[in-house]
Formats: sequence, structure tokens, C-alpha cells
Amino acid sequence: MSVYNQPPAQQHHYGYRQPMPPAHGHHGYGGGYRAPPPPAQHVYQSDPAAFRHVYSTRLAELTMNSRPIIQGLSMLAQEQTRYSSIVAQCIEAHIRRIPPTMKLPAFYLLDAISKNVYVPYAAEFTPFVVPLFLETYDLVDNNTRSKMEEMLLTWRTGSPVGKELFGIGPQVAIERGIWGDGGNAASGSSSRVTPNQVMSELDFAIGQQERTLQSRPHDVAMQNNLAILHQLHALVAAGVSQPELKQILNQLRTLMRNSASTSAPPPIAASPPPPPPPQHQAPYAQPQNHYWKQDLYPQQQIPHPAPMPAVKIEPASALLPAAGSPDILSMLTNLVKSGVVSSNGTPIGAGSSSVQEIPDEKPDSDRLESRAYRDSILRHSVALTTSDVTRPRNHLIIECLYDTQSTQCKQCGQRFADSPSGQKKLEKHLDMHFVQNRQASQQTGRGHHRGWFISLDDWINDTVDVKGKGVDRGPARGRAAEAADQVKRNEELRAMFVVVPPGDEAKSIRCPICKETLKSEFLEDDEEWVWKNAVKKDDTVYHATCHSEAAASATTLVTRLIADDSSSRSRSVTPETNGRIASPRSSPLKNIKSESSSAATLVPGSPSSLAGMKRKAEYDEDGAIRAEEAPLKKVAV
Amino acid sequence: MSDHMDVADDAAFEPKVWDLGPETEYRFELDPGMCLVIVVLRGNAEIFGAELVEGKQHVFAGECKAAVYTWKGCSIEVTGRPSTEYTSDETLPMTAYANLHIAFEQMRVKALAHLRGSPIPDGPSRVTSESPRVLVLGPENSGKTSACKVLVNYAARSRMGWVPVLVNTDPREGGWAVPGAITAAPVAAPITTPSASLPLGAAASSAPTINPSNALLPLVYCYGHTDVQRNHLLLDRVIRNLGASVGDRFEANPEARSSGVVVDTPSTFAAGPANTASVRSKLIRACVDAFKINVILVIGHEKLNIEMQRTYGSQLTVVKIPKSGGVVELDPSYRDRILNMQLHTYFYGESFTPPPGLKLRSNAVYGGEALSDLVLSPASTTVGFEELAVWQIGEKSLAPSSALPVGATRTVSEMQPILIDPSKPGSGLLNAVLALLALPADGDERERYDEEVLDLGVVGFLVVTAIDIPRRKMTILSPSPMVFAGRTAIRGSVEWQEQ
Ligand SMILES: [Zn+2]
Ligand SMILES: [Zn+2]
Repeated sequence: MSVYNQPPAQQHHYGYRQPMPPAHGHHGYGGGYRAPPPPAQHVYQSDPAAFRHVYSTRLAELTMNSRPIIQGLSMLAQEQTRYSSIVAQCIEAHIRRIPPTMKLPAFYLLDAISKNVYVPYAAEFTPFVVPLFLETYDLVDNNTRSKMEEMLLTWRTGSPVGKELFGIGPQVAIERGIWGDGGNAASGSSSRVTPNQVMSELDFAIGQQERTLQSRPHDVAMQNNLAILHQLHALVAAGVSQPELKQILNQLRTLMRNSASTSAPPPIAASPPPPPPPQHQAPYAQPQNHYWKQDLYPQQQIPHPAPMPAVKIEPASALLPAAGSPDILSMLTNLVKSGVVSSNGTPIGAGSSSVQEIPDEKPDSDRLESRAYRDSILRHSVALTTSDVTRPRNHLIIECLYDTQSTQCKQCGQRFADSPSGQKKLEKHLDMHFVQNRQASQQTGRGHHRGWFISLDDWINDTVDVKGKGVDRGPARGRAAEAADQVKRNEELRAMFVVVPPGDEAKSIRCPICKETLKSEFLEDDEEWVWKNAVKKDDTVYHATCHSEAAASATTLVTRLIADDSSSRSRSVTPETNGRIASPRSSPLKNIKSESSSAATLVPGSPSSLAGMKRKAEYDEDGAIRAEEAPLKKVAV
Repeated sequence: MSDHMDVADDAAFEPKVWDLGPETEYRFELDPGMCLVIVVLRGNAEIFGAELVEGKQHVFAGECKAAVYTWKGCSIEVTGRPSTEYTSDETLPMTAYANLHIAFEQMRVKALAHLRGSPIPDGPSRVTSESPRVLVLGPENSGKTSACKVLVNYAARSRMGWVPVLVNTDPREGGWAVPGAITAAPVAAPITTPSASLPLGAAASSAPTINPSNALLPLVYCYGHTDVQRNHLLLDRVIRNLGASVGDRFEANPEARSSGVVVDTPSTFAAGPANTASVRSKLIRACVDAFKINVILVIGHEKLNIEMQRTYGSQLTVVKIPKSGGVVELDPSYRDRILNMQLHTYFYGESFTPPPGLKLRSNAVYGGEALSDLVLSPASTTVGFEELAVWQIGEKSLAPSSALPVGATRTVSEMQPILIDPSKPGSGLLNAVLALLALPADGDERERYDEEVLDLGVVGFLVVTAIDIPRRKMTILSPSPMVFAGRTAIRGSVEWQEQ
């Protein structure tokens, strides 16, 4: 049975015989509008104008990324396929009319309808999807653009049989429009490829892989694949040459095409979500490849059977090989062969043993190496005298800095020794880039700011990663590990939530610190509405990340008073505070505090930290800090 | 402007290719607002010892004055309109830096071997087994900071992966903070300096970084003035505090010690009016003591070289090295402009306009970083006068002699913390740059003392952007959000100017 024809059961339920829609080939997008179906027994049955009015009115509510609204509009479209051209006109007009910030949710609606009710909607949208996408893309900010790119990539395999959602022509036209000629999946190798495009495709592959990993969290091979993709991403982000970009892109596409057509992993049971509270604004999830596997619609609410027939259920992982597939590894091997990733510079951290051979070293080969270096450097004769330091022996420095360190990181230019330990350091170094790039990708869209300076204690004890001197430096940890910790802490903070009090679902509240609206979300498992990335302190809800950051930078005293437990979690997001003063560095003028001068230098009643006052601070509505004096804890002697 | 001018303007932005022979350099200077893009087409090139990545667009702005040097020869493509550009083969200082690097490398490997207790079979016996702890002295425009950067960058590039500590004792330079700060930072990867506002690379921000040297973690103390003479007793004390902390760090991690220290100094340490000589030698002494200096480099100043030989020759090595011909004579307003730019960069990050007609590729870098995250967003908070205690250190003008303790000497007053009352008109707080101090240790209260404010590290810098005396509130610009209640800050003489 054709997977995208309407099921007979649905026709029966409607109580009329809907004509089978013309079977749209994947290249049949040019066919234009279909003849409207015969009228149905429904409220809108005889009145297209009434339907248009209802649909456009409800569409006007789609001003933000709200899953309930998108669901509702999708369901309405699904029920009224005979008015598909009206739906299409309404959506097109809506997207053209609304300001850029509201366009993405409308595209999500278009995306959801096309994928869920492929026939007849994909064909309805096809005539205008190219100009509409490109014009919108021009107007929106970078963050929205990358979301649109991600959506566009799902369209490549968005049809029920895994082909282009709107046909290959429109797909290529859009990709060419935003990425240039290189975007053309079918185009020859002569065209230019932009890093943005490759990054988008890598992002997409990574997203697919991550979703699959969620269902198989312990799949090591999958984790490795993911790590390699991340590192390729880091590599591209840091900048590679045009031929290298093309190679990466071609390999990635070959990989995706092969795996998309061959793999058919076991189906995943779709569990329908509970009905969301009506007035709530939950965001619509990122577009998936296919929706069939996770029906958007709560089936028990629909009085007729699910709209789509039992199609082959394809998990999102279809795009990338399943566990143990050699494809990513062979892809990397090819990249190594072609020199995109030097065999020295192969991103490691994942599957390294199969990608490249690193000789098993004796534990202290590092030491042997550094001893050899020491002996060689000590053989030279350079005296620290004015005349000797100007005597040219430049071959020494060239040997030291360049010739014996011919492997260079293409991201930052650092060099590594041509030796086993040099290779190991390179691996660690690339790991660091990987972590930092991942951090970067998680931080897009947030404003950045200069950090507070590190505390004396941390500065003294936290030795920056010594790029692998080959010794265990005990508790002192590398910068990469720390960055990873920080990523983890931020993830934990972002995962925190506060349950929305019943009745407050529609209320929009702002974080007192950053003044931005807290995002709410419906937790499927717990069946309740929550504010994400939120903590509640003294009846005030903050972003968990904002609160943690502010708490970390607050005094320990104030921290204790206002932040309780959250302060411990936020240890070194911005590691300052707690400046230790071991002892007075130079003899302090000990007696001055008892002299009369202190009265002259201290304004009465004006507390300072020196006076050791205990105070209570609260955020007021403006996010400013209000402090109340508490009884003196200690007065200067 | 006429068409003719436009044509000329456009022509100036055509990329130019420079072929540099071995051991030569391409020098450039940028006027305010100008931007330059350099791509290495082939060969190896470095700026102050930090290697450029072939094929990438390296962007420079912010009145950057620098030289692209090559040991083995290279071709570079330059787009933009520098106020000055030329190639030079007078690169004797690079030869000196190279030799110094080898000599310091010898000291480092011996220090490490000594620490690990491994035998040192041969090698010059004159090489001490102490790590290099280097003080760099020189007059204005002699290239002290360039020398420091090359030496530190070469160490960081060594296959041994040293992490030397770079110390800045020049309060006018501000290191990784703002002018008035005295700072030290471990350097794990070569420092890149795309702008005069980042003379020693950038301190960490929340923006993601590719290059670890753009997320430096400095330890910061506050002197509060740009003029060394203004309160030399305070500067002396701050330098000694910083030195003690560097010592503690080496204590905590002995292997880190073998990487050594390089200390940059103000030119006023090297030369100045005769009546400042005793202050100068006192401050040099403070550095030598604080950082346990074993090598003094004197750049191109024979008189100072002799003076240093005489004073320290018996206890440490004094080497005179040549002054760089590429060092730029700076116009008088330059320092003021840079000071404002540094302050602005600290809060707001970087911005620039690429050369007209040039499309920056997505892999273009500014100081090694992608161009997307250069702009920072500071926070602005309104606080009550009572919340943030602002002190100044011994400003005579604001501390009438009647307020001094009976019998107090002027020395006392110079080092005396004085609380500023923001409610007094003329408190001088508006537009003042404040150093927000770290908290004293949460420990034994008996260890607390009044001059603590002189010895505490700095957490960050603030600007008072508005004062509302009737409502007893002031508005504070800070790099990140912060709860100010119960905190202490120091006001120096550095002021914020809106750009
Ligand atoms: Zn790198
Ligand atoms: Zn917030």
C-alpha cells in the first residue's frame, strides 16, 4: 500500500468517500493545486470562507513557538484536507505578514503539516515554499537561521519514503539560495562549499545521532561516532580549506545517503503525550525527520483513527549508521588519507584505536622523551651575556619550534612534537577544542560577558593544563576537564525546573536577574507544567543559571543568606570570591585601628566588609540588590 | 569627495602580497578605527612569537602596531590601509630572543631534572638548575612588552609544554584587566595581540574561545593609578603581594615552577628625572625580591645596564639586549586613547569594521578567535550607598590633615584606607573606575586587620555611571551580574570616559 494515501478507515469515519488523492511523485511538486474534494459533513463543509476565517484567526495566535497551538492548527489542517489550499494560503499570508521574530513557529507549523499530512499539503506548499523560505531566511537573525537550516535538512528526507519533502527541485533551490552552489546535493564538485553549510549538515547529523543515543545511552560505538562528528564540527568551525570542506561534505553525504537507504532499525513504540493545558505556551520541538513515529496528536482525543496508515516506523537514527557500523570510521580514514585530517591530527577521543595506530607506550616514555630533549638542549652553548646572545645561531630556534614539531593544529596554530607523546598531547589538545566548541554551541544566543577574576586560592592551586608534561599532577586538572565540568554544571542547572503552580500556566514571569521571560514546558512523564532552567528562592523564581552565576559572585555571606544550596553547585562558574589572605604580606600597620584616625576614616553607620557586618540582601523587583543591616556580628576592636 | 579620490581609496584596499625572506619582518601600524587583515599564503610567520595559521584571515584593529616575523621566509597577503607599513631585515632582537629562549630552556630542563631528582649527565655546568625568573627593564618604546611576549610565547611553544607566568607591573598597561592593575597570569598557549587594547592577550570571558590564551586567568591586584610615582609605597606593596602569590603558586605545584616567570615593567623603572632615582631603584628592588629574579634583561640602555650590573651583578645575571628598530615612537595622546580603549574593551569586548571591499570568511580570526563572540555585555545595577563600601588609599587631597591621627607621618597617610562618602557632592565617584575586592578569607576573625584592603586581590573592575544623592543610590557598571551588598571596592585615579 502506498504509504501516503489516506487510509480508508478515515474516509469511512467522515461518512463520505473522499477521492484518493493523486499519488504525488517526489518530483511531482509542479502539479499545482488539486481540485477540492467534495464537501464533507462538517461545520465548515459548505463554507470555505468560514473555514478561512477560523483558520486565519487561530493562526494569528501563533505568535510564539507554542506546541499546543501548532498541534491544534495541524489537527485542523488534517481534518480539513479538502481545504488544503486555504490552509496553504493562510499560512503563506501569515508568514509574509508577521515580523521576523514570529516567522519560525509558523514555519514549524508548515513543517509539521507537510510531514504529518504529506498528502495533500506538501504539494500545496511546494509552489511557494522556495521564495517564502529564502525571503524569510534573509530577514531573520542568525539563531533563527540556524534553526531554519536544521529544518531544511530534515526536508531532504522528509517525505514518507525518505525523499525530499517538497521534491528535489525546491530542496536544491533553497539550499542553493542559502549556501550557494555547493548546497546542491546533486551538483558537481566544482562548486563552492561554505563552512556554514557543512556545519549545518554536521549539526544535523549530530542531532540525529544524539536522538538515537537517547534510546541507546550505553552504545559506545554510537558515542564514538558522535564524538567524531563533534570533532569534525570543531575542525570546520576552526576553519579548513575549500578542498577539505568539500571532502568532509562529500564523505558525510555519502555516509548519510547510504545509511538512510539501508538501515531499518527496529521500530520505536510511540507513546502519545497527554493533552496539554489549553492556554499554555509550550515550545514546539525541533523538527524531526518524520513524525509518523511520534504522532503529534493525542490519539484518544481524535474521534477517528490516526490519519496516517501504519507506515514503516523509522527512528531518527536512520540517517546515520547504527552501532558498530564502520561508516564513520571509514569516513575518517578517508579524510586522513586525503589529508584533511592529518594522521597526527585525527580527531581522537573516540575510536582512536581503530582510526590510527598509537603505539602502546611504556608508562614513562614521556619522561624518556623529555630526557632526550633535555640532553639535546643542554648540548648547545649559549651564554647569558650581552655579546653571546646576539651571536646568530638561528638554526637552533627553528629546530626547537618548527622542525621537530611539524604537526600543527589547524584551529589555533599550536605545534606538537613529532613523537608519541607529542601525538598524545595533540589528542588532548583536540579534546580541549572539542569541549570548547561544544560549549560554544550550547551558548549560542546568550550574551557574553567578561568573567570575574579567579580567586587567589584557585589561582594558586589550580594549575592550568601543562599540556602534558607526562607527569600526574595530582588534583590539579586540565583546562579541558574543567571546561567539561562547567558544561556539565551548566547542563545540570539548565535541567533544573520549578513546577508551575496550578492556575499560573498562562502567567508570564521574568527572571529578576536577566529580565528575560522564563520558558515553560510540559513534562511528558510527570504530566505537569514546569519552568525550565529555574530555581525558586523565597517565592521568587530565577533562571537556575542566572541565580547560580549571581550566587557565585556574591559574597559568601550573602550567598549563604540568599542562595542556600545553590551556591555549592556553582563553585567555579566564575571562580572569584573567597579571596584567601594567608597572612599580611608586608607588615600591616597593626595599631592603626585603635587610633583615633579610624573614626575619621569610617563614616559612622556606613558599614563595610571590614566592620564584619552581617547583612541580608534580597533581590527587589528591579533585580537590584537591597540590603538590610542586621545586628553587628563583630565590631572592629 | 571626487571620483578620483574614491578610486584611490578603493585601490588602497586591494590585497597586497609581501614576500618576506628568512629572518625579516613586515611591520605595520594602524590608525584609530582602521582594520588590517593578514593571510599567510605560504611559509611560517609569527607575531611576537605567536605563530599564525596558514590560510586563515587574521584580523588586526584597535591601533595595533606589530610585526609579522619569519624565521624561514613566507608570503603574506595584506588587506587594509595601515598608516605605516614596510619590511625590515634589522631583526637583531629576534636573534637575541632566540638565544635567550635556548638559554632559558636549558635552565628549565635542568630545573625540572633537579626537581625530579634525575641525573644530569652533561651539559654546561654554568647553567643553573633554577628556572628562569626574568625581569625586563627598558626605557619608553624600547620593546619591553614585545620581548616579554616573545619569550613567554616561545616557552609556551616548547615541546615541554611549559606554562610560564607572565607578570605585568606596569600600571599604565593594565595587563589583562584595566589600567591601574598589577597582574600575573600563567600562559599555556601563545598570546595573540590583535589590538592595542589587549597588549597581553585577553582575560577569560563567558564567550567560548578557540585559543586557550584568550581565556587567561590572571591574578589581579589594584594599584589604582597609571603613574608609578603617584603612590610608590602602595605600588611597592602591591608588587610584593603579587610576588608572594606567584611564590605560593609555585609552592603548590613545584613542576610549574620550572616554567619560570617573566616580569614586564614600566619604562619609568628604567629612566626618569633624577629626583625619582631612589623610587625607581626601590621598585626594581621590590620586583627582584618579590619574584626571586635571577636574570635581568636591560633593553638598549647602557647606563641602566651598568647600574644593574653594579647593584645586582654579584647575585644574578644582568644581560643587555638590543632595542628593536621596529619599536614605534608613540604620540602623546596615544596612551590616553589606549587607556580608554582598554577600559571599554574590558566591559564591552571588541569591535571593528573590516576593510572596505573585503569579505571576511567564516574562518577569519581576531587574536585567534572566531569573529562572532567578540562583543560582551556588561551589567548595570543600582545599589544603595550603604551596600558597597568604596575606599581610597591615602589620597591627601581628600584626607585633610586634621583627619590624620596625631603624630601620624605622611607615610601613614599614603597607605591609609579612607572610606569615601558618596553622599558628599564632589566625592569624585562619578565615572570613577573601582576595583572590586575579593572577600577576606572566611576564617579566623583575629587575622583581620584594617589595611586588608591594601592586600586583597581584585575580583573585577566597576564604573560608577550615575549617582543619585537624594535617593542615596548609585549605578554601577560591572562586567557580569553581581550582588554588591557587603562588598568592598577601591577607587584609584583612573576614570571612565564614554566613547
Ligand atoms: Zn589547537
Ligand atoms: Zn535569568
